[in-house]
Amino acid sequence: MKTVQKIFFTLFSMLMMFMLYLDNVYAKDVAIVTTYQYIASIAQQITGNAAKVTYLAPSQFDPHFIVPKPSYIAKLRDADLLIINGAQLEIGWLPPLLRQSNNPKINTGKLGFLDLSQFVTKIEVPAAVSRAQGDIHPEGNPHFSLDPYNIPLLAKAIYDRLCAIAPENKSIYTENFNTFTTKWKNKLSEWDKTMQKMAGKDVIEYHKLYDYFFMRFKINIAGTIEPIPGIPPTSKHIASLEKYMDAIDIIVQDVYHPDDASQYLAKKFSKPLVVLPHDVGATKDATDIFALFDSMVRRITQ
Amino acid sequence: MQRLYIVCIAFIMAAGFSSVTIAQENQNISDPFSQAKFVPDIAVIVDTAYAYRTVKDFNTYEQPGFIHPHHHEESGEHHEHDLNQSNGFNFNYAEISFYSQVDPYFDLFAVVHASTDGAEVEEAYFTTQQLPFGLKIKGGKFLSAIGRLNDRHAHYWDFADMPLIYKAFFGPQLNEIGVQVIWIAPLPFYMLIGGEILKGQNEASFGTEGFSNNDISIEEANYPNVYTGYIKTSFDSGNFTVLLGSSGIYGKTRINHGIEDTDGHAFYGTTYIVGADVTLRYDFNSYQYIALQSEYLYRHKDGDFYENDGSTTTIEDFTAKQSGLYSQLIVRAGKLTRIGLRYDLLAQNNVNVKSGLPNNMPRYSAMFEYNPTEFSRFRLQYNYDKTLYSETGNKTNHEIIVQCNLSIGAHGAHSF
Repeated sequence: MKTVQKIFFTLFSMLMMFMLYLDNVYAKDVAIVTTYQYIASIAQQITGNAAKVTYLAPSQFDPHFIVPKPSYIAKLRDADLLIINGAQLEIGWLPPLLRQSNNPKINTGKLGFLDLSQFVTKIEVPAAVSRAQGDIHPEGNPHFSLDPYNIPLLAKAIYDRLCAIAPENKSIYTENFNTFTTKWKNKLSEWDKTMQKMAGKDVIEYHKLYDYFFMRFKINIAGTIEPIPGIPPTSKHIASLEKYMDAIDIIVQDVYHPDDASQYLAKKFSKPLVVLPHDVGATKDATDIFALFDSMVRRITQ
Repeated sequence: MQRLYIVCIAFIMAAGFSSVTIAQENQNISDPFSQAKFVPDIAVIVDTAYAYRTVKDFNTYEQPGFIHPHHHEESGEHHEHDLNQSNGFNFNYAEISFYSQVDPYFDLFAVVHASTDGAEVEEAYFTTQQLPFGLKIKGGKFLSAIGRLNDRHAHYWDFADMPLIYKAFFGPQLNEIGVQVIWIAPLPFYMLIGGEILKGQNEASFGTEGFSNNDISIEEANYPNVYTGYIKTSFDSGNFTVLLGSSGIYGKTRINHGIEDTDGHAFYGTTYIVGADVTLRYDFNSYQYIALQSEYLYRHKDGDFYENDGSTTTIEDFTAKQSGLYSQLIVRAGKLTRIGLRYDLLAQNNVNVKSGLPNNMPRYSAMFEYNPTEFSRFRLQYNYDKTLYSETGNKTNHEIIVQCNLSIGAHGAHSF
């Protein structure tokens, strides 16, 4: 027993020295980890080269159900700032990763933890919640990033936090932030103009994913392919949708849900089926935060 | 737009009226000492099943050298995860879990396992939040993080039961009181190094209670009895993920089967267990994946075997080298369904004091799962079990389990 204890404690103290050494070797720039790619793209606009920005969730996947790969723990372990979408979009996959990352800097409530949902007004906040209503978000619809008018608010929140974390880079961040907001303002008027003709159109979508985008441009959301959030379409629900299909202008599909129900309805009622990106990288043309909205506007107006 | 105004005005009027009413009827509505917002995350998971077997008295059979049914009868101990032990309907458990942050420094988790026999604390531990260098300490009663499956709660298993080798070596999980240290290495890839100092009460491989008779006396363990260490690493490329792990456990074993009485026997010695596991997973999309998982465990026991022949107690050198493995393939075919195949093997079975123990005892399992949501699961499992032995020899058991697992409340997400 004695020898085992000795070996154990020797190994342990060697480990401690080794990790002190490694931590010094890996001292580096401000490391920002974001849950989704759109957040990384905004952060990149503000930091330029003055930080290392990485994201976790692949944009081809359902943002509610990201596979919690162990490599994400390694990324979070070294993060100085974790930026999340919030409003419970990450609740199904991020909490265990965050706990396992053993990084006190990015614990909830710390300077290194930024929840973007706190900086925008959320829609569809339920008065009461029950799981009988499906995957319902008590804080409201979490897909607020798809309203282009919300992006400057998110960018401001990220800018403020970056300045608090790395005040030495403040002048760089300020310059980049001002450039970004000016450019974004121009883009907003461009998108507003293009989207004018869409006002009053009736659409159905798979999931309540594009509500912020549609509401911004006065597009009417007539229904969803899924009967309630998170529950795949049933034949009964599709039959009930069919009654209203004549009045629908566009069927909108995202990249990660199965599209067989949308295809079926589009074909049967000869309605256009439009695939919209929901995140940077979801479609090939959505290469950054500007291209994401360029792509959405172009695809829906075509 | 007009409708919106009307709604707004109606809302303001309603709010105005109701506040007036409250002010009249209730002069003081403050609740200054309410702590309702500090209620921890609470969840309840209920697991029930229906089991059918061709060998009705399967409980009286043994996996020789590995699992003996008389353990339970003699000690009267209730084993936490001996699920589906009845034929017909089984109420397996109601698991009640609690989690919250204690303060800025600690998290606290507790899992209470309730069955019709009573309730017991399955896990209750704290973890640190603030340690530097990627370190975390866990203390209390918890499932050891050795192996690939040991720290998984029953509702997160891929099958209705644990692999046989886990049942044989850990019965079926190493659930101990102690301290754990985890280190996430500051490397560009995932590497976890961890170790535990444990009380070591696990009856399947260790044990802390001493024993004695007129001839011999083995003291009770009065210090931590079991040490574990493990290393886990993972790589991924695109949608393909590999997770590798290896573990070692070392401790003292004290097993007593009635050494006080004639024909009783006991063992005192040293046991180590080493294991390795590999998981390969490919995600086709958010709702479909295929995962191959294999794990091998080897146990070495070395010490003294005592036998009470009525007049004296004989002591014999005892060495046991035993191993086993499982290999499973899980396919998530769509958002609602999963299919799984598993091969279990109790492989090497060399015990020097017993000759003729069977080697290579297999069990084959297949399961089909229907998950209406993340909160409900129905599973059909079939086991073709060739591991059951009695004095008359080997018997084949066909086992069908229909399992229903439902959860309510605030239950945290699971890790990879």
